[in-house]
Amino acid sequence: MAWIDFLDLVQSLMDGVMFGATYALIGIGFTLIFGVMHKINLSYAAASVGAAYLSLLIVSVAPTPLVYLLAAVCGGLLGALIYFVCFKFLPLNQALATLMSTVGMLLVLEEAIVHATAGMPQNYPALFADKVFNLGPFIVRGDLLFVFGLGCAVMVGLKFMLEKTRLGLATRAVAQQPIAAQICGMSVDQTNASTFVIAGLLGGTAGAMTGAAIGVLSPLLTLPLTVKGLVVTVIGGLGSIPGAILAGLIVGGAESLFQFVRGVSERDIYVMLMLFVFLVFRPNGLFAAPGGRD
Amino acid sequence: MDFYIGLLQVIGVHTLLGLSAWCILHTGQVSLAQGGFFAIGAYTAGMLTAMAGWSLGPSLFIAALIASLIAIAIGFPALRVKGLMLVVATTAFAEIVRLVFFNLKWQVQTPNGPIGPDGGLGFGGIRYFPANAWSGLEILTLIWCLVAGVMSVLWLLDRSRIGTLWRAVGEDEVAAQSAGINLTAAKVSAFGIGGAIAGLAGGIFSHNTTHIEHGNFTILLATFAIAYPIIGGLKSLLGTLIAVIFIQGFLIEGLRFLGDWRSLLFGAMILAIMLIRPTGLLSAPLRLPLFNSKKNAPIGNAKTGAHHA
Amino acid sequence: MLKVENLARYFGGIKAVDGIDFDIRRGEILGLIGPNGSGKSTTVNLIAGLYAPTTGRVIFEGQDIQKLLPHERANLGIARTFQNIRLFGQLSVWQNLWAARVVRETGWSGLKQRWFSTATQGKLETEAYLEFCGLEHKRDQLAANLAFGEQRRLELARAAISGAPLLLLDEPAAGMNSEEIDDLDQRIRKLRDQGKTILLIEHHMELVMGVCDRVVVLNFGRKIAEGKPEEVQQDAQVQAAYLGSDSDDAFMQAALQA
Repeated sequence: MAWIDFLDLVQSLMDGVMFGATYALIGIGFTLIFGVMHKINLSYAAASVGAAYLSLLIVSVAPTPLVYLLAAVCGGLLGALIYFVCFKFLPLNQALATLMSTVGMLLVLEEAIVHATAGMPQNYPALFADKVFNLGPFIVRGDLLFVFGLGCAVMVGLKFMLEKTRLGLATRAVAQQPIAAQICGMSVDQTNASTFVIAGLLGGTAGAMTGAAIGVLSPLLTLPLTVKGLVVTVIGGLGSIPGAILAGLIVGGAESLFQFVRGVSERDIYVMLMLFVFLVFRPNGLFAAPGGRD
Repeated sequence: MDFYIGLLQVIGVHTLLGLSAWCILHTGQVSLAQGGFFAIGAYTAGMLTAMAGWSLGPSLFIAALIASLIAIAIGFPALRVKGLMLVVATTAFAEIVRLVFFNLKWQVQTPNGPIGPDGGLGFGGIRYFPANAWSGLEILTLIWCLVAGVMSVLWLLDRSRIGTLWRAVGEDEVAAQSAGINLTAAKVSAFGIGGAIAGLAGGIFSHNTTHIEHGNFTILLATFAIAYPIIGGLKSLLGTLIAVIFIQGFLIEGLRFLGDWRSLLFGAMILAIMLIRPTGLLSAPLRLPLFNSKKNAPIGNAKTGAHHA
Repeated sequence: MLKVENLARYFGGIKAVDGIDFDIRRGEILGLIGPNGSGKSTTVNLIAGLYAPTTGRVIFEGQDIQKLLPHERANLGIARTFQNIRLFGQLSVWQNLWAARVVRETGWSGLKQRWFSTATQGKLETEAYLEFCGLEHKRDQLAANLAFGEQRRLELARAAISGAPLLLLDEPAAGMNSEEIDDLDQRIRKLRDQGKTILLIEHHMELVMGVCDRVVVLNFGRKIAEGKPEEVQQDAQVQAAYLGSDSDDAFMQAALQA
């Protein structure tokens, strides 16, 4: 391979890893909800994209950072809504029913987006789109760097919240032993709801960042984002946040790599194959959540 | 009249799809791979009749067989994981299948021009039915004979030893393996049988619509496949059928009354059904979980509802 | 019949089982007791194959069963019950027994089977075990709807119907009143009379002392005593483990030296 091709390879790898921060956020969201409820919320990515769409409401009147903030907030609200509708009332032992209800929610959200926008892709504002840094022979896009940075900041904030605040402690306690947590006076319902809200905040941010990085929002984003998010969650290890972060970056980078080598139409085949390889050799993911005795 | 024949044909094909998901759901595994087997069956059967000139019967048989073999092959690694990871693994498989067909270009020259899968443009010209002058009614009969046949086989299976063992595995894997049941064998066999049924359904589908393309086989289709048995109630085969009638009828007929909003209401309807009847339409007596959940929420294992001391 | 050699299982830093040896002789009822957390359930899980040992071996009928999966061990002859009852809740009482019985002559979970020949034999045995657990009148009820005591009896019958010569009973008397415990005592004796060998893990001392031929005592994952029930009752270390001793030092000494 010629030197210039190699440079291009590394360039796209770098871009991919930075974009992978969005996948990491979605993966964290899935893993958070799974860790606490032991259920999958299949509508999560759709809610994230939906939140980004909602933030478009103020795009003409507000500066871009506020738009992102609104996306996050909407994500949180949608998260609470999903908890309320899909999870709160269903008896916990009906795993299939909750799964199906999140599927129903996914369909509702996606159709709502299609209806509201008549299916047309909407432009999404990016920050620092015109800024470009040079790092040796490589170009670092300002908007991608911002996306990456924001993602990292959010992840650090999440870690802080989980480890240093009471809510974080409650979340972890409820995840591990819901009954004991209740006996200690924690409201399982409130903790679960707040977990969904937090995951929603993450998701809204991820939706905004995906829009910023790609430049447009489209309802076609929801299914691929759901699939990639699930892949990230599984590769990282169910219930493990550091795993989701690392896996998100890996998937982002791998996606770019495969696209560079084999083109965009075959790219996802290899991403999926990569997942299969992980499942065969490390079925518990990169960092399995610590298991105890049965 | 033609419209209704078409509707009944679609309902029949989707019932087969739902039945294939029923098998694997019975052992407690959630699989989103049925769409992939459906696609494999569709393309295989189509290629055999349109490109190699086979007749329908053998083509369908081979399509089901190949889908089944592939199901068994990926069943072994995939079924070593459970729960969410299996969902993702099967989703990944289905996506791989779809993308492979998206990229597949293989055409042969026939007197009528090139025939064969053409990448993103799909696979057209599967004209076995029109070429052999099958009427809509005859196709319909074929479809429903197959549905009846598959249902009978599954019904017999469910009442047999195999069915009991499948259900035991679905209920509690730890207890099942401690009682001597080979988990992998049970799960893989359910997966394989489900794969065969899905492949069969796909073969019919491609001949019925004469033109297939990758967009027919998305994850959404797989979601529908598991929706039917779940909404219909896992204990009952008939429930799956009713769920298909209900859902497809709603989606297609509903177009008349609800226009564009039907898809939105469709999602809402699924939500509503799950909230009101979480065990499915055709199962236990009516109980509104909205009022029961606080009192009756069982303490303990989410999957089995067993009581932990 | 079964020998446990230097068996150990660590969970991270926790030494649940820390190098124990004992053997179970054919036809006997061996009790396995010890305070909570002493490693009894872990030992059962190690023998049944649900956990893999960190070190040590389990030898069944002269064969090292290390590599065997739980269902293979069950087919070989080791059946068990669970501390937290694990029945097939949505299956009927009859089906719970039938599932465990039917697996005996089918390979590959039912796909390879002699379709006609042994079905009646299996049905007869299932009926017999229905009587054994006294649930003939409830044969079509879902297992999840049974009363607690009935569920325990069903689980015992399910383990027995598998035909396995060795039964591991994990705290079968937990949550029972004294009537039910007497009943359990009778059933265990009946099973032994049928030729089964039993490893009984229990907390209820009267049951253990009454029905067991020998007893092994664990504490902190180690064996601290072994012998006839009366001998073990008198053992100072066992008493210290359960009741505490005059000085804490003596207690720690006893545990560490075991």
